[in-house]
Amino acid sequence: MNDNRDVRLERMLRSRQEEAASPDLAERIILRARKIPQRQSISLWRFLRDLCVEFHLPKPAYVLAGALALGMVVGLSTPSEDPSAPSGNDAQGVFAADEDLL
Amino acid sequence: MATGWPDRDDHELLELIQKGSHEAFAELVRRHTNRFYRIAYRFVQNKENAEDIVQDAFLKLWEDPARWRGELRNKFTTWFYRVVTNLSLDWLKRQRTVELDEELPLADERPTADESMTQAETYKHLEKAIAALPDRQRTALNLCFDEGLTNQEAAEAMGLNLKALQSLIMRAKTTLKKRMRSYL
Repeated sequence: MNDNRDVRLERMLRSRQEEAASPDLAERIILRARKIPQRQSISLWRFLRDLCVEFHLPKPAYVLAGALALGMVVGLSTPSEDPSAPSGNDAQGVFAADEDLL
Repeated sequence: MATGWPDRDDHELLELIQKGSHEAFAELVRRHTNRFYRIAYRFVQNKENAEDIVQDAFLKLWEDPARWRGELRNKFTTWFYRVVTNLSLDWLKRQRTVELDEELPLADERPTADESMTQAETYKHLEKAIAALPDRQRTALNLCFDEGLTNQEAAEAMGLNLKALQSLIMRAKTTLKKRMRSYL
């Protein structure tokens, strides 16, 4: 009895009727969209992706840029070994040494 | 219509829509309008309002196509079912002035349906009984009994796992069986 009711309810749920949509509904939506400008909200991911596309470089250029960047990092992180080399902090000392020579 | 549009899948069309292609949008709308109209109708039970909801959903997509995030690998239809369902529920909340539970007597309190009861009346009662269900149960029922949507897709559209969806369906059916006792 209960099973029969289940089956009947299922059948009814599957055969629910609805009024058909207007045949021109899709076209109406399309026409309305033509009058509406798109909002250009760019997500961070899309922005980064577009940026990469914009700056597309051939592979050797990446290698060169990478080597230069690596060179700069190594150069900046290695302290100068030459004690006679003037440090950036005492520029006055350098000028004074020059004056002595003169 | 440009040849080749029907061969493109939804995701390709959406990528083109994000670049501003009206043709891709037109193809997507033609492809899916009826199925989303059907689900909106199940909620609002009115042709004009269901059409407005579907139009609203598609125009929102056109206006701001970045709402669709293809990189999450969602199926477009599953995601859009959720959009249309939410718009339908919002519409119902705005319209609901009378609590349907009060309006609908339980089957036991009603005279037994005689044989002259027409099928249309039976379906009218079914729709009323469905409308009186809690939102989540009604949404589960509407999505699951919509042709072309698997239970798994319905669960995804609701942001649930399959078991939770089945539990909602079971509760909805139990309530419906009580309320439709005279008609079953």
